[in-house]
Amino acid sequence: MKPAQVSKALFTAFIYAFFYLPIAILIIYSFNNSAFSLVWHGFTWQWYAQLWQDSDLQIVTLHSVIVGVLASTCATILGTLAAVSLYRYKFFGKKLIHSMIFILIVSPDIVLAISLLILFSAFKISLGFWTLLFAHITFCLPFVAVTVYGRLAGFDKNIFEAAKDLGASDSKIFFKIITPLLWPAILAGWLLSFSLSLDDVIISYFVTGPDFNILPLQIYSMVRLGVKPEINALCSVLFGVTLLFVCISQLALKRNSVTNARN
Amino acid sequence: MRKILLFCLSFFIINAFANDEKVVNVYNWSDYLPDEVLQQFEKETGIHVNYSTYDNNETMYAKLKANPDVGYDIVVPSTYFIDRMRREKMLQPIDKKRLVGLSNMNPALMNKSYDPGNNYSIPYLVGSTGILYNDLFYPIGSINAWKDLWQEKYHDRLLLLDDVREIFSMALLVLGYSPDTTNPEQIKAAYQKLQALLPNVKLFNDEAVKAIYIDEDATIGMVWSGDAFGAQQENPHLHFVFPKEGYVLSQDSMAIPANAPHLANAYRFINFILRPEIAAKIAAGTGYSTPNAAAMKYLPEAMRNSEIMYPNAKILARAHFQMDVGDAADDYEKYLEQLKLSA
Amino acid sequence: MVKKGHKFCFKNISVTLIWCWLGFFALIPTFLMLMTSLVQQGDTELIRLQLTFANYFTLFNSIYLKIFAHSLLVAFEVTIICLILGYPFAYILAKLPESLKNLALLFVIIPFWTSSLIRTYAIVVILKTKGLLNTFLLWLGLIHTPLQLLYTNTAATIGLVYSLLPFMILPLYANIEKLDSRFVDAARDLGANSWQVFWKILVPLTLPGIIAGSMLVLLPAMSLFYISNILGGAKTMLIGNLIENQFLAARNWPLGATVSVVLTLFMALMFLTYVKVRSKNTADMGDLL
Repeated sequence: MKPAQVSKALFTAFIYAFFYLPIAILIIYSFNNSAFSLVWHGFTWQWYAQLWQDSDLQIVTLHSVIVGVLASTCATILGTLAAVSLYRYKFFGKKLIHSMIFILIVSPDIVLAISLLILFSAFKISLGFWTLLFAHITFCLPFVAVTVYGRLAGFDKNIFEAAKDLGASDSKIFFKIITPLLWPAILAGWLLSFSLSLDDVIISYFVTGPDFNILPLQIYSMVRLGVKPEINALCSVLFGVTLLFVCISQLALKRNSVTNARN
Repeated sequence: MRKILLFCLSFFIINAFANDEKVVNVYNWSDYLPDEVLQQFEKETGIHVNYSTYDNNETMYAKLKANPDVGYDIVVPSTYFIDRMRREKMLQPIDKKRLVGLSNMNPALMNKSYDPGNNYSIPYLVGSTGILYNDLFYPIGSINAWKDLWQEKYHDRLLLLDDVREIFSMALLVLGYSPDTTNPEQIKAAYQKLQALLPNVKLFNDEAVKAIYIDEDATIGMVWSGDAFGAQQENPHLHFVFPKEGYVLSQDSMAIPANAPHLANAYRFINFILRPEIAAKIAAGTGYSTPNAAAMKYLPEAMRNSEIMYPNAKILARAHFQMDVGDAADDYEKYLEQLKLSA
Repeated sequence: MVKKGHKFCFKNISVTLIWCWLGFFALIPTFLMLMTSLVQQGDTELIRLQLTFANYFTLFNSIYLKIFAHSLLVAFEVTIICLILGYPFAYILAKLPESLKNLALLFVIIPFWTSSLIRTYAIVVILKTKGLLNTFLLWLGLIHTPLQLLYTNTAATIGLVYSLLPFMILPLYANIEKLDSRFVDAARDLGANSWQVFWKILVPLTLPGIIAGSMLVLLPAMSLFYISNILGGAKTMLIGNLIENQFLAARNWPLGATVSVVLTLFMALMFLTYVKVRSKNTADMGDLL
């Protein structure tokens, strides 16, 4: 190999190492036989066994997955509709919708959290599952809209005009032309939303009620005394599941990959 | 698909019914109640505890203030927040006739100025803010007072608690002022005093204090007694000091928010916590001291005799209960921002 | 006629849905924030309903300007590091064989599907006094006393770069991938050296990607305060801290709202500038991702 190629390979390896080192650490330490995740005390499955029995953590994980799936699905539907409407139609307040999407993307979490909290209290909506779901849909929606819109902008507008001239109704164009063309972007938007939803602490903290706890909040309250191996184990499992999920979707997509759509 | 739908549906239904009578919603500091106690309560009473946590009074206050119907039945604010919240009618008076075992409480910790007559609050745990140092780095007995932290040899070593009132209390005590001062001149003086301390500060933290001292990522600094006790169990080189100038005694108390939906269960919960053996379990599990005098005999020997947890009367005389500072809180906050900017 | 009714129906339904949702969950809250920034702080209530612009004037106080400048400085530093690391990486990725490309890119994104808090704490484990890096260096004999890496500005910067690097790589990759390599070849044939090719050909052609990536890194870097709290020891004050402090610790909601309104305006301004720079017709909100 030429020196240039070697340095290229080394550089790429360095960046990947940078990305994966923390992940590797949390996976390795999930097998550490010590409640203190600092020094290696030998191999153990005990944290995974404990995880298996910790019904509280399981319920909380289930809550998170349910909210994540529902929120990202709703956000994907709404976000796709928003992108398509903004792209194709002229309507009242289009600029405003544009700005709202922009504002949702740029406002700091704490601001969105507090303003939603005020909104819910102004309308006397009691905090819990529903408020959490609404909040998650809201902060995921713009990311889907932007992703889908980016893909849509890459197409020739004439396709839709041609379809219309041939007598296709708008809903037909949406379901038969737009959706199939966009589905990598839609999937990408969904995956992005799901990961945002699973990772959100600040907004969830303020909009959830006493009877509905989710995983990021649980993790947040548990990491305060140093990361417990059980949390490492849980994150490793989730990482494994994500990886599996990604592999399956990769296989299914084959050529039209998710990442393609993101760009 | 249908199955998933059905599952989700049943999930909502379960959730809807879970809101029934057999529930109590507790909002407490993180890591402030052992799991074992919760399980015992659920087993004995059949009441399900929805347990959520916060890490500072401000967050809890903001959530309750912005949405009074949020549905918590028990909250555990610190002294100065009890003071503020009762004045703002965010708490409801506690009907003492419904309590069992109130007489067990240590009279020295009852009926304080933040809540005269304990009409709104029942003490839960007590802790002191002091200094912790590691004898591998500094000789034993070399640190006795807050002002020692200003010495140049501690350059880039100190951990300060990331709590505006705690930091300013330290400086105010060094200057000989009251930690609850609302006098702008005194607050400013404290700010200037703290500015001189900055070169020594390694970090501000309020969440992982215990782990940081155990792993020697910081070797000297401020600490809450519960964290100090826990850290000492893991790292025997750590020593706790009650500073000479005085120290803040933080007492967190159970209170019932004005709109608590499950009042009867809230009382059952408080009564459960008031039981001496339960109070002892909580104190043992967290490393903080119990205000329940009758609980002392259930404590492990090492804890009962721990100077950190139960200081003698002479030390206790230097203790100070924090009060609400009202609008001056703004000044404190502004100076903290300024302080961190010059760090 | 049926068709027309149909069209009307679909368009109306989707526009109404979007309007309802964003109107209720974005417009009203934004409006509430704006209103909050225009009233006074209350004594026992959170706000007193009395119109004032005082909050906006307060922002010209030197502390707040300093916080803003400081956040911007930190954000710029992080952006430049991300650019230096991300540009060559995106370039290498974009020039990979077709079959490897997508997989390589996917592996950039995957780590970010685990909890960001846990990942940040994993960095703590590496940088601690008794952490992995120090243990390793001590074992190698390169150092004799552990380095104090944690709770420094360096640690905070590492954490921010770690979390934001993918946001730089993705738009750059998209841009470089579309680049016609014939430009580069032509320049080389005309005798340009590598340096000239880079500055005269690559940089101008990938400018949109550079700007998009920089925006995506710069904006969150100003408000991602928990990373600098955990890794940097909370010794700095970022705009994110300021907003949180005003809402929670200082209970000054009007001021907190004002800061966030100004921050949003600032970001909008940057975005608009970007759109102007990017070109008059091709830029749209799709560029944000």
